[in-house]
Amino acid sequence: MSGRIGVYICSCGTNISDNLNIDGLAEFSAGLDNVSYVKVHKLLCSEEGKNFLSDDVLKESPDRIVIASCSPREHEKTFRNTLQKIRFNPYLFQMVNIREQVAWPTPDKSEAAEKAKAYLRAAVKRVAFQEPLEKKEIDCNTDVLIIGAGPAGMEAALLLAKAGRKVYLVEKNSFIGGRVARYEDVFPKMECATCMLEPMMDEVMHHENIELLTCSDVQDVIGFLGNFVVKIRKRAAYVSKDKCLGCGACYEPCPVTVKNELDYNLSNRKAIYIPYTGALPNVPVIDEAHCLRFSSKDLDICREAFELGLITKEEYEMFRKKDCTACKEACPFEAINYDEREEILERKAGGIIVATGFELFDPSAVPKLGYGKIPEVYTSLEFERILSQTGPTGGNLLMKNSKGPESVAIIHCVGSRDKKYYDYCSGICCLYALKFAHMVGKKLPSANVYEIYADWCVPGKDNQAFLDSVKQGENIQFIRTPLPVDVELNQDADRIKLSCIDVSTGKRELIVDMVILCPAMVPAKNSRMISEILSISNSKEGFFAEGHTKLAPVSTNIEGIFIAGCAQGPKDIQNTIAQGAASAGQILSALVPGRRLELEVTTAEIDKDACSGCMICISLCPYKAITLDRENKVAVINEVLCKGCGTCVAACPSGAATSKHFTEQQIFAEIEEVLK
Amino acid sequence: MCSGRIDPQFILKAFQSGADGVLILGCHPGDCHYKEGNYKALRRFYLLRKLISQFGIEEERLKLDWVSASEADKFVRTINDMVETVKALGPLKRIPAHTSTEKGTGDLQEIKIG
Repeated sequence: MSGRIGVYICSCGTNISDNLNIDGLAEFSAGLDNVSYVKVHKLLCSEEGKNFLSDDVLKESPDRIVIASCSPREHEKTFRNTLQKIRFNPYLFQMVNIREQVAWPTPDKSEAAEKAKAYLRAAVKRVAFQEPLEKKEIDCNTDVLIIGAGPAGMEAALLLAKAGRKVYLVEKNSFIGGRVARYEDVFPKMECATCMLEPMMDEVMHHENIELLTCSDVQDVIGFLGNFVVKIRKRAAYVSKDKCLGCGACYEPCPVTVKNELDYNLSNRKAIYIPYTGALPNVPVIDEAHCLRFSSKDLDICREAFELGLITKEEYEMFRKKDCTACKEACPFEAINYDEREEILERKAGGIIVATGFELFDPSAVPKLGYGKIPEVYTSLEFERILSQTGPTGGNLLMKNSKGPESVAIIHCVGSRDKKYYDYCSGICCLYALKFAHMVGKKLPSANVYEIYADWCVPGKDNQAFLDSVKQGENIQFIRTPLPVDVELNQDADRIKLSCIDVSTGKRELIVDMVILCPAMVPAKNSRMISEILSISNSKEGFFAEGHTKLAPVSTNIEGIFIAGCAQGPKDIQNTIAQGAASAGQILSALVPGRRLELEVTTAEIDKDACSGCMICISLCPYKAITLDRENKVAVINEVLCKGCGTCVAACPSGAATSKHFTEQQIFAEIEEVLK
Repeated sequence: MCSGRIDPQFILKAFQSGADGVLILGCHPGDCHYKEGNYKALRRFYLLRKLISQFGIEEERLKLDWVSASEADKFVRTINDMVETVKALGPLKRIPAHTSTEKGTGDLQEIKIG
């Protein structure tokens, strides 16, 4: 307990003194226990005020200080720094807010005076129990973990790698480039998507500072800015990246044929496969779920292949045996190794960028649209594959019966801008719908195209011109309907009957051959899991929430973790790249080699003698900072990880956990004195 | 410090020391500076509210709400509402220590805190 408390009261010009009798408060404070002196100043935060404070503290040498002034949010740091400079421990100082909490909101002068007295009494009582605390610093790691190797992740990875940072680029698929790498052309300038991305992908794969981890996902992350420890699960691919040349000799002999989900089930693939021609890295993977060696249930698939005449009876008999080695035998480079096992890798990073992309709203939730039932109803991503030269039709615009459609309808806003599904606008659908119209016209000039839309959303300097040029097309009709999701589609012999409301003519029916839906862009399926692992927040739509809509669009609620691309919300490629670059910039600025990181001072502590090892605190800690010392059966707090939230302290049933600077004794003293 | 640091004992201490109402204000769910302390506060609040009614303290005297730093209007409204509620309830009745101990009923003065 201290016996020499110095009290400083600031009148904040007249901000405080206008409504509060400063002299009366000073007199009252002087009479409190342990207070050895009280000083009044006009503006303690000014240069002159800070000099006065320093000189006076050196002269009076109190052992505790109370400053009654404004909100700690405003100047606690100022006063702490001033005291630190004269080597007075800043944690032996307590601030009382007599401006925002007293002088300003309390018009009655006598009430204000009583309130100020109560707060001062509480601070004087509390400060006596405060202990000196020392700041600690640690080295920071400047390496970066990036989750997702689509355009945003690749852009960030390259910028950081070129700045000399080590990058761990984790991708769940066996290939990089995200969804864009599977498109044909991109709006508004109709550039070839693969040609655009290929140089970037090549650089990502070969940059010495980038460790590319495909077929991998992040399992666990602990730590904070400058000190994350990441566990990565790398699934077995069974094909060595170093030995494989991507010749493709292995997939032909594979007896298993399944739908290719990476081609949106529009084509078939083998159990050892490359998801699409041109996928990079050009190394196949073995799909454990279907390969005969790893999954016996898929004998059925093998039988089906035999029944369909895809393989001979002898082949079927041979492959029926589980020890199928067809791919290994076919590989001229001995690149296939069935003994490869899943690995758990640990990497340390200072910052994390989450660029996990998006998915599309599943239109089968709207039965009227017939998606999944009517064969020629496609989603936009499926149609991208039909247009793509590496897709199931080799880039020819064909229906499932191998004929070209005579008419194609494109329905906008499926599930977006609609309170029933997603109330936001995905922002890119109008433009890719125009691109589709343009490409249908290019591939099948005689085909009719119907754009069924509600409103146009084509912002930006190039896009209006693109809309205008597509509108010139002779075979394109634009039908404006109040709510495109209300369009009804029905199979009509081998064509599709489309019924909708045309705002200019009323009810309208069309017969078309093919329908393309433009579904809302929605958060990737694994985004909830990722936010749990990283403790980052989601917006109400389920995308990762940015720190501030305008000012911190790539930050998250966790320092050192950034978001980029469609993981943050729907956007086009241009903005995705911009966010990738922005998040790289944030990390370059936040993590500077050689700079040390200051640790939280007001952490929690465990009194070993009082701890019973019940582990309640361990399950509550949001920072995974508490572990059990098994030998002594007590909880141990890692001071580097602890942020001092105090959750464990409030929960500890034996009072073994305490918060530095917010001890029970200090808080009780405040409560008692305020309420006296 | 975080609303997750609020030990139910702090609330009981406040009632014991003369408070007629206690208002806990935390960050909005999903917006917690310390990730999830506010959820812990919420769980403790529900349990504690049940407990205080057993001590004869009306549940309305304890309230929890979420207010962010940018919600000045909500802050003012929440405080004014709480003041109204507490004024309507009047001062918290504190049973003198000796009478209630004799009867063997719960007694605020006798509750050991800390």
